[in-house]
Amino acid sequence: MGPDIAPGPAVPWRKVLWERQPFPDNYVDERFLEELRRNEGIRQYRYWAVVKEAVLVGQQLSCVAIFITLWLYMEQGLLSPEALLWTSLIVGLLGYGLHNALRPQLGSDRKPRTHLADLQSAAIFLSFTFGFSPVLKTLTESVSTDTVYAMSALMLLAHLVSFPYAHPSPTGSLSLNAALFASVCLASRLPGALHTFAMLSCALLMFALWPCLLQSIRDHAPGPSAWLCVGVCLGGVGGLGSRWPGGAVLLALALVSVILLCPLLLVKLQRHKDNIQGPWDEAEIHEDLCKVPY
Amino acid sequence: MVLKVFFPQCCNRADSGLLVGRWLPGRDTAVVLAVIHYPFIPSTVKQYLQQIQGQSQVPVEVLGSWSMPSEKQEGLDSFLRDLSTIFPQTRWLQVSREMGQTGFSCQLLQLPPEKEEEEEDRVIFVHYDQRKVMLSQLHPLESPALPGCEEPSELRQMFWTVAHSEPLFLKDKYDEGPLKLSHWQSEGREASILVELMKLASTPLCLLLAWLLAAWSWVTSTRLLNLSPLRFLSSKLSSCVQLSYRTAHMKTVTSPHTATSHTHFMRKANVLVSLLLDVSLGLLFISWLYREERLARLASALLPAADRVSRELEDLLQWLMGAPAGLKMNRALDQVLGRFFLYHIHLWISYLRLLAPFLEVILWYGGLSAALGLTFALSLLSDMLALLTFHIYCFYVYGARLYCMKLYGLCSLWRLFRGRKWNVLRQRVDSCCYDLDQLFIGTLLFTILLFLLPTTALYYLVFTMLRLMVVALQGVLHLSVDLINSFPLFALSLRVFTPYRLAEGVKFRVLSDEPGTALHLLMEMNALGLGEVVQTYRTPTYSCYPPDSWGALLRKLFVGELVYPWKHKTTKTD
Amino acid sequence: MGQRRKKADVSASSEKRASEADTAASNPTASNPTASNPNRKHSICMVSDFFYPNMGGVESHIYQLSQCLIEKGHKVVIATHAYGRRKGVRYLTNGLKVYYLPLQVMYNQSTATTCFHSLPLLRCVFVREAVTVVHAHSSFSAMAHDALFHAKTMGLNTVFTDHSLFGFADMSSVLTNKLLTVSLCDTDHIVCVSYTSKENTVLRATLDPQIVSVIPNAVDPTDFTPDPSQRRGGRITVVVISRLVYRKGIDLLGGIIPELCLKHPDLHFLIGGEGPKRIVLEEVREKYQLHDRVRLLGALEHRDVRGVLVQGHIFLNTSLTEAFCMAIVEGASCGLQVVSTRVGGIPEVLPEDLISLCDPTVRSLCAGLEAVITQLRSGAVPSPADIHARVRSLYTWRNVAGRTEKVYDRVAGEEVLPLDRRLLRLRQHCGSVAGSIFAFVAVLNFLFLLLLQWLVPDQVMDRAVDASGPRALWGPSQRDHPAEEAGAGAPTAE
Repeated sequence: MGPDIAPGPAVPWRKVLWERQPFPDNYVDERFLEELRRNEGIRQYRYWAVVKEAVLVGQQLSCVAIFITLWLYMEQGLLSPEALLWTSLIVGLLGYGLHNALRPQLGSDRKPRTHLADLQSAAIFLSFTFGFSPVLKTLTESVSTDTVYAMSALMLLAHLVSFPYAHPSPTGSLSLNAALFASVCLASRLPGALHTFAMLSCALLMFALWPCLLQSIRDHAPGPSAWLCVGVCLGGVGGLGSRWPGGAVLLALALVSVILLCPLLLVKLQRHKDNIQGPWDEAEIHEDLCKVPY
Repeated sequence: MVLKVFFPQCCNRADSGLLVGRWLPGRDTAVVLAVIHYPFIPSTVKQYLQQIQGQSQVPVEVLGSWSMPSEKQEGLDSFLRDLSTIFPQTRWLQVSREMGQTGFSCQLLQLPPEKEEEEEDRVIFVHYDQRKVMLSQLHPLESPALPGCEEPSELRQMFWTVAHSEPLFLKDKYDEGPLKLSHWQSEGREASILVELMKLASTPLCLLLAWLLAAWSWVTSTRLLNLSPLRFLSSKLSSCVQLSYRTAHMKTVTSPHTATSHTHFMRKANVLVSLLLDVSLGLLFISWLYREERLARLASALLPAADRVSRELEDLLQWLMGAPAGLKMNRALDQVLGRFFLYHIHLWISYLRLLAPFLEVILWYGGLSAALGLTFALSLLSDMLALLTFHIYCFYVYGARLYCMKLYGLCSLWRLFRGRKWNVLRQRVDSCCYDLDQLFIGTLLFTILLFLLPTTALYYLVFTMLRLMVVALQGVLHLSVDLINSFPLFALSLRVFTPYRLAEGVKFRVLSDEPGTALHLLMEMNALGLGEVVQTYRTPTYSCYPPDSWGALLRKLFVGELVYPWKHKTTKTD
Repeated sequence: MGQRRKKADVSASSEKRASEADTAASNPTASNPTASNPNRKHSICMVSDFFYPNMGGVESHIYQLSQCLIEKGHKVVIATHAYGRRKGVRYLTNGLKVYYLPLQVMYNQSTATTCFHSLPLLRCVFVREAVTVVHAHSSFSAMAHDALFHAKTMGLNTVFTDHSLFGFADMSSVLTNKLLTVSLCDTDHIVCVSYTSKENTVLRATLDPQIVSVIPNAVDPTDFTPDPSQRRGGRITVVVISRLVYRKGIDLLGGIIPELCLKHPDLHFLIGGEGPKRIVLEEVREKYQLHDRVRLLGALEHRDVRGVLVQGHIFLNTSLTEAFCMAIVEGASCGLQVVSTRVGGIPEVLPEDLISLCDPTVRSLCAGLEAVITQLRSGAVPSPADIHARVRSLYTWRNVAGRTEKVYDRVAGEEVLPLDRRLLRLRQHCGSVAGSIFAFVAVLNFLFLLLLQWLVPDQVMDRAVDASGPRALWGPSQRDHPAEEAGAGAPTAE
């Protein structure tokens, strides 16, 4: 088995170490690398399916745009806080009803939240927001407006980056917190305490509760939910356009690139993929080990 | 084989006789201690040596003979040889001095005579000053040079031998006795009467002081004085701490046992000298203070000064409540904090007004404490400083606590912000699924705390600076007290005036190195370095514990932990 | 492999006892001299960051291989970095000289690399010891790669042994694979421990497979003898000995334990090793109340491993990746039934009838274990002594040393690329960007070497006294004294 001995006998080479074989150590059989596999388990994407998923990203972008639009209206005094509060209440109740209507169909493996718990949560939200709104109002008054805007922009960006688009239902901590932080910053620039309260309630509705509702709609009816997202996108563009046309154009461009161009790029670049797999790869654990029976 | 003979300088010109000394065990080294002159009776010599051995624990023996070429040369050789049979030893030194030469000649006789082959013995004579060697203490001190314990170095053994054969040197030149010895003799005994008297007087004095101290410590250890608030207070007042230190020092000084070991003796002497210095400095201070109405002037100046400080503080607070250094603070919180602190200052001023009439009396009695020593006066000053700047301390504590809590809250809320939590059991950060309402309230609080942090931090910063100023002042006072307490003045003066008393090794100088004769070396002491003296003999006090490093101090300041002057460190408790 | 704890001075003596018949019985073609100069004695310098007192597979591999090479009359020195207060030169058994060089440790016992700073020290070692072949170990060791680089600059022959497998999928592996490509592109010969490892290395470093030899690791069969009397009657014990980390599949183990323990009340687990995943096992143990049946032994000394192995009936290995699994050979050598995952080089290690291979899933491993348990119950398994007899001659260090020696013989006849051709090869082989960068580095390294040679010429550097090899002063009479750290007074390389 020296490295330089020519393979003499006609014994077939075997890929085993325990047997002393009449081949040199550096012998290369024709079966060398036969277990090499390329692009195993690769997923072929269809364009419209990808677009359907990408709409979700677009609608979250539009949600942020809608929130900014509402804030612009409030700041310029075009929208009274009472009107916003009433609208929020009605939309919230409608959404809650829809959510409840959709819930029973989801199967009963998890214990559903009781209405009492929901009521309790709502009470906590409202009382804390209402109680803290005077404090929040004065919170940033000595901080310069540019700083507040920059911070809000950064936080909204963080919200968009860290949003769990695949499963929006339990909203990721970081994304929700970043959005709430941004809305507190923005709300504190508004003229009155009631404005702040209204803005925060609206933020809660938009960033915390809307993803839950969207998730249940998607689980229940995937087709209409995509159209709902498109609707949200259009609403975002339209809303922003009414106060800030330049921003609306930018948003529209961003939406088009996210929803239409990026999926196209993904599908086009897919065939250049070259992934090597073989027995040397670290095995992955696919089972959910937390869910061992009993 | 090299033979080393340590030879006392004072015996250089002694008359002929017997060499008395000791062979260092296990080495070819002889230490000559004295010369016994002719004529003598061998049995008397033996008896005398035994007596010396009993007194000094040094195995003194007859080493050989010493001949000075003054009288008849003839027959001396054989006589000397005969001597070796009288004093049976395994090795017999024959040292003789020739007329015209500086050096000695030496012969070693191995007494079992078959070993007497000439194997070119080299002999080195090391001349030493007997008095200096006897009085000096070899450093470093870590191993007390006892002959029993594991083989101390040759030099240490030699020093030990010389230092312990003091009884041998007590025999005076003028003593009429059967033996005549030549060795170092103390010259003046005149002052010794005074010394004796002092020694006589010191014993009852010590006993009296010790009794008084015992009474005092009984008083301090009574249960009434050890109740928790009193005990806490006394541990924080530097004058009380100083009192306890002094009591301990007095106890060491007046302990009725005589100091046996060198360290113990030096410790006692150092404490005594620093005590005397302290008291004399204190008396000087008193004589300065109580003359020319200085005390009254001081008292009258003190109150306006305190008033002025308060006013300055008020101004500072007003400035903070505006827009300090152009910083934009949260107005509401700023006002709240500012008013709170202003009220505090108001309280403080009224307290000082209340105190004003009694201030001079307090100062008068306080100044008297300097009679106990300058350190007491300084400690009292430090305490008074602490009391007068109590409002600054309060501000600092409030600011620090507020800042610390805010920082702590921000830390944990920042974890919540990222969807993490601190797992106490596993000491690590885990990810965690929070409820929607928890997230909401947490973020709300986080935002509020974050925006209020600069205001709190600014107040904290300003008050910390004030506090640090006071702490630095107190630190200087404590350091000077500590210096007086622990400074080894006695050891230092010993080192300055009699450098040989504290030796750090020796050095040798070649006296004569003529070919054919023995090598003559002169041994001189290396004096201990001054820094070493201070390091070795300083009285241990609290400042011997390492204070906080600068990094640790900065870290503490940053996270809002309370900082105290050196005294109140936790290490002091153990 | 973390369990392969080996005290430096215990194994050499046992290695001598290792089957005398082995050398004779090894393949007859082995003695066929076709290399240019078969009796040539080499002066070898093993370089790796990993050596005693660190413990692990690479460390014991270097030590055992060096001992066997010394026995064959070669001169071997080892260069590694200083471990705490262990620095300077140490001598191990049979005059194996180890240089602990003062290099800064960066992460996980691997030194930092700048491609330059180690050149003065390593040049000093290579010149003083008159090294002809530099043998670097482990791709995780920065010092090994540095040594390869410097050795090529100095015109020495180079061999590299790769002990680990690496994927291709993520960013970090892309980067490290590129570095490996650069490092190995002009290395004379590469040694891998299994065929899978060879395929992996050839792909990672884009090598010609002809210059890659497969030489498996070995175990000392005399250390691992069966002793069925240690087994507790009335129960079936499964032994797991591995570091408790993700790569060893401890999560799988955490899934297997409750499932099997529920089905078989007489099943016990004995788990040796320490690591961050211990918490998983402790949780499982608490959750299913298995404190009396799952024993966690903590970190084991190498000498204690056999004592644990012989208590079991089944050896379980749940690794997710493994180049050459020594643990299963040790387990089989102690007469245990081996159940293992089918990953990496594991299928090549033991014949099919000695090992049950399963997929790396809880279900498959459970099925495999249950099959073996049924066989055990019915007594349809070979006796431990039979298994030991079959395994004992499979992997021996003498065999490894003999095959490595052939690699050295082959390498010694090869020409080391001069600088111009080396630069050309770097450019051609490693792509234009990385190739150019490293060609530049190679030129700088060469200039640095010239500077060093000008400062201290090779001729004036004093030569070390050989402690092993043909001109060894460490006579055969003294060889029997295992003397670690016998002569720490030899001059260090600083």
